[in-house]
Amino acid sequence: MQCGTCTGSCGSAARMEHTPRQLWRMVQAGMKDEIFKSRTFWLCSSCYYCTLRCPRGLPLTDTMAALKRVAVAEGYTTDRKSAPFYKAFLDSVRKYGRVRESEMMARYFLAVKNPAVPLSFVPLGMKLMARGKMDLHMPGFGGRGKLDRLYRKVMELEAAK
Amino acid sequence: METKTGRALVIGAGISGIRSALDLAEMNYRVYLIDKSPHIGGILSQLDYQFPTDHCGMCKMLPTIGRDASSQFCLRKGLFHENIEVLPGTEMIALEGEPGNFKATLDSAPTFIDPEKCIGCGLCSAPCPVSLPDTFNGGLAKRKAVHLPVPHNIPNRYTIDMAACTRCGECEKVCPTGAIDLKTEARRAFKILVVDDELVVRDSLKEWLVVEGFSVDMADSGAEAIDLVSANEYGLVLLDVKMPGMDGVEALQIIREMKPDLPVLMMTAYATVETAVQAMKIGAAEYLMKPFDIEALNAKVVQQYESTVAVKGRVIEVGAVIMATGSDFCDPAKIPGAFGYDYPNVVTGLQFERIVSGSGPGAGKLVRPSDGKPARKIAFLQCVGSRDLKQKADYCSSVCCMFSIKEALLAKAKSGGEADTAIFYMDMRTFGKDFQRYRDSAEKESGVRFIRSRIHTVEPDIDGRLSLHYVDGEGAMVEEIFDLVVLAAGQRASKGARELARSAGVELNPAGFCRTDELFQSKSSREGVFAGGAISGLKDISESVIQAGSASLEASRLIRSKGGTSRPPEPKGALFKDSSRDLPRLAVALCACASSLAGGLDLEALGAALSRWDPSIRVLQTERVCTLAGKKSLLDSLRDTGCNMISIGACMPCLYGKMLLDLARETGLSPGLMDVVDIYTPAFGRGGQAEARVQTAMKMSIERLKGADPAPGRSFNIIRKALVIGGGISGLTAALAIADHGFKVDLVEKEADPGGLVRAIGSTIEGVATSGVLGRLVSGVRANSNISLHTGAEVVGSKAYQGLSFLTTIKTGDGETKQIDHGVTILATGGKEAATREYGFGQSGSVVTQHELEGRLGNGGAVGLGVVAMIQCVGSREEGRNYCSRICCQTALKNALRIKKDNPEAKVYIFYRDIMTYGFLDAYYTKARQEGVIFIRYSRDAKPEVTIGEGGKVTIVTRDPILGRDIAIEPDLLVLGTGLAPNDLGRLGEYFGFEVNEDGFFREAEYKWQPVDSKKRGVFACGVAHSPRSISESIAMAQAAAQRALVMLNRDVVEAGSVVARVRHGLCSLCERCISACPYGARSRNEENDRIEIDELACQGCGACAAVCPNSASVVRGFGDRQVMAMVDAALELI
Repeated sequence: MQCGTCTGSCGSAARMEHTPRQLWRMVQAGMKDEIFKSRTFWLCSSCYYCTLRCPRGLPLTDTMAALKRVAVAEGYTTDRKSAPFYKAFLDSVRKYGRVRESEMMARYFLAVKNPAVPLSFVPLGMKLMARGKMDLHMPGFGGRGKLDRLYRKVMELEAAK
Repeated sequence: METKTGRALVIGAGISGIRSALDLAEMNYRVYLIDKSPHIGGILSQLDYQFPTDHCGMCKMLPTIGRDASSQFCLRKGLFHENIEVLPGTEMIALEGEPGNFKATLDSAPTFIDPEKCIGCGLCSAPCPVSLPDTFNGGLAKRKAVHLPVPHNIPNRYTIDMAACTRCGECEKVCPTGAIDLKTEARRAFKILVVDDELVVRDSLKEWLVVEGFSVDMADSGAEAIDLVSANEYGLVLLDVKMPGMDGVEALQIIREMKPDLPVLMMTAYATVETAVQAMKIGAAEYLMKPFDIEALNAKVVQQYESTVAVKGRVIEVGAVIMATGSDFCDPAKIPGAFGYDYPNVVTGLQFERIVSGSGPGAGKLVRPSDGKPARKIAFLQCVGSRDLKQKADYCSSVCCMFSIKEALLAKAKSGGEADTAIFYMDMRTFGKDFQRYRDSAEKESGVRFIRSRIHTVEPDIDGRLSLHYVDGEGAMVEEIFDLVVLAAGQRASKGARELARSAGVELNPAGFCRTDELFQSKSSREGVFAGGAISGLKDISESVIQAGSASLEASRLIRSKGGTSRPPEPKGALFKDSSRDLPRLAVALCACASSLAGGLDLEALGAALSRWDPSIRVLQTERVCTLAGKKSLLDSLRDTGCNMISIGACMPCLYGKMLLDLARETGLSPGLMDVVDIYTPAFGRGGQAEARVQTAMKMSIERLKGADPAPGRSFNIIRKALVIGGGISGLTAALAIADHGFKVDLVEKEADPGGLVRAIGSTIEGVATSGVLGRLVSGVRANSNISLHTGAEVVGSKAYQGLSFLTTIKTGDGETKQIDHGVTILATGGKEAATREYGFGQSGSVVTQHELEGRLGNGGAVGLGVVAMIQCVGSREEGRNYCSRICCQTALKNALRIKKDNPEAKVYIFYRDIMTYGFLDAYYTKARQEGVIFIRYSRDAKPEVTIGEGGKVTIVTRDPILGRDIAIEPDLLVLGTGLAPNDLGRLGEYFGFEVNEDGFFREAEYKWQPVDSKKRGVFACGVAHSPRSISESIAMAQAAAQRALVMLNRDVVEAGSVVARVRHGLCSLCERCISACPYGARSRNEENDRIEIDELACQGCGACAAVCPNSASVVRGFGDRQVMAMVDAALELI
């Protein structure tokens, strides 16, 4: 809390409204609304630098993830983009056993219900396509449905908590 | 009861070992001072500059009374005292017996260079082909395998690093005195058995070991190994763990049964490490991991070999043992990633000290190691390997904050103020006396930048520079480029602590330091074995010196209680006849063995030359003058000559102190009229002219003696009784310590009951109840017939008489006055919780001090508290009381943890500036955070604002620097940490002649080296009267003060040194320059007869007065103008 190693290490700190150190202080102070209204924890890219470097050995990255889970569970929707993105990703994996990028993005765009979002991705999509980095074909369905049981089990466990 | 002279063993000859050894030697015990390394001085031999003076002052630890008993030159170079036997390169390997009657077994490292023959000429080092990092310079320079461990030692002998030596034999060939013997024969005789089922392993091991000069046999199975072991004498067995048939562990068992003393090293692959570790439990000496690192293997084999050629098993009988092996620094290279220690311009604090040292690799220029260019932007990173749970170091190293500030100031001084210095820190722990002012002045006057941010990574920039990213005070990210990064590498337990603990039979704490009693920190887990210095925990020099005094006091008390005596030292002056009115008749004795060692120096010719030069001197030829027989023959020939002074030409003058004293006793001549000249060393060296150099040395000595003042040092009376002022924990401890040594003590306490400040404290942060120890001390004092306790009494006057003699008047509670005579005084007047008017104190019942809170908590006061706020540093660490009170942070943590324990729902907020949990206390800071106590920092310029509303309701508004916004808290209770203020010393300073500092504390003679002494002889201080400190720290200091007092009380008379200043009143113009020049306060102007007077007990003969005197009216005995000029003439004569 006092040394600032987490903030100093964070690659995303510049884009966060509150730096990681501030976020922890807000957690201590119980400023729940303000925390979940911010995008700070959604911006954590899980690079684990803060966890690696923290001299007190605190599980900071895991705590960021925990905040994301709490935000979804408690229905904080301030950030209209991040949660649907995670959900689209997970749904895609659940269904096919792997990510199908095009479908995942389509689900994501539907979920955010904002036509501006797909449009904002157009330049990126064009670039990726030009370099052959995006495949519009659907990959095979070899893993289809196989992960469904795992997902259900996890949900059961989480519900039991 | 049988009595005999007490003996003690001091292990570790660093600063605290030296302090303990001197303490006991001055009490006239016999002391063995051993150290693993080949030199004394410990870490301090590498440090040139010490806070707060920023130079060295180690010599101030030398005896100040009876000082002729010891050498009186730089203590970093060497220590010679008639009661101390210094044994470098020696370890204690076993300690048997009972307290008071121990038998300690000592092993000495083998010497490949005969210390008696080595003259330190350095010819051996030139042809040595090995080059390796120089440990003395922190690896910043290179050295040879044959080297001087410390360049400034006296006497300075070369040693060989056998692990690196290739045994090429070049040094043996060039040594002019034949001092080097690499013992290659002994190596060849050292037979090693290699047991492994794989031929390639056997063969390559054999090849390596034969190259290293050992003899090697091989066996391919356990069974064959056993046959070979039974038939041959091996020095060492290298045994594989995993072999078909009989495996290594089985073979080991059988070998252990056959030859229990034969050392066995297990060889193992990674997969079988567990088995190898098991093997160590049944007697394997060590294990080696495959694939082998040749250097590590070689080092281990050499270690085993050297232990067989070591001088083994000297057994000494001692009454007590003091462990003083200090601490080591952590190795930043072992901290994964992060600090960039691989880059050449990232150094540790110790390496920085070597860079700026005149004896360092760059002759003291502030330059970068990579390219020798000036370092002009320097970053200091704190807490490297300290306060780091990942490094298993949940403690603060206690010393780094101050040494980094000192180093930043050194950088400023070395660069003429040009260098930009920035210290990156989490808490700046300026908890010691005067530390806060030192920091403030570094910041304000010298422009050192203090940046509160922990640097997580050091990244390389172009041109060897280094880039640091950090969050500044405003929360913004900053990148800054530096020339040099200095890591404040944290402290670790000393490397040999584990082995030492095993051989001494004492326990260690989890951090690897000696486990001590919580309150009596010199007590280890074994009675009779004491902990001095930093081995008892993390300590700076001053605290180590105090701790060392505490350990020597306890050792002395134990030795006495077991019947060992510390009889008073014989006053030397009285033994010798006064020959000041006799004509000087000088004899010169030339020792023949010096000449034979020196390879045929012609002593006859030398004698003849000296006789021609001055026909009045008598020349005697003698031999082996350092032996008993030699001394006897010298005495015989001396008796016939009727000479009254003698100059002896021999070797190693520094070792002659005791022998000169014996000689003096038998001849009746004062040792001041004897001189030993080194004629051995000048006989060697480059450029020839050996005869001329030896002659010059002798002539200088002759001139010195001719002008010597033969009058012995004066002796003064001492009243062998003590006065202790103040009956708190410090005063009680000191009084008991002195009384237990058989001296009378008057203990004066102003209140009706003794106990002082401690009565307000229920328990320490460690959870030790104070009532028990206080009760024991008070009843001990009351029961001791040597102590007269005067309660409700105050000192109302005192007069000092010549020598150590005071007559003090006290007024007792019933108005009576009493007169007490005493020789020494210990000030233990203590302090009180400071008063305050800040933060609404006095306006609301909800605002209390920490002591008041503690009282409430004792009565279940935590229940019902919802929110508690604590404000630290109230009225402290800012002008007015600009010092840290040291105990308030730990008190706040103790009380916060208590609240959390009794009432886990309570919220506790602590408003702080820097949390001062130095040493192992830092673990409580960790614990408090884990328990949910919230810490909010404020600065001196923006303090929390407290308003008292209706019904005494408290509101605190402050800016949280992390969130960057104001926060408000409405606590049920606001607790103020007001710190400690000293009790009013009134006119005590005037009565006893000590000084009081601007905060009202006792001013010590020297913060680091004489922490409990005043400048006035015979006056000491301890406890809170000196500076704020905890209970255990006060106890240690009281013991140290008692120890210093006992050194004086243990004498029948006190002797001034023979070298003291005097005044030729006829020439004196009373300009008083000498008074301000005297560093010991020994000079004063007597207004009655208008003369400058000298306190000969205080005078240390430094000569500062003689140097400033414009009229040569101030002179130092033994250094007369005419005498010194004659010596200079003699020195220049042959040039």
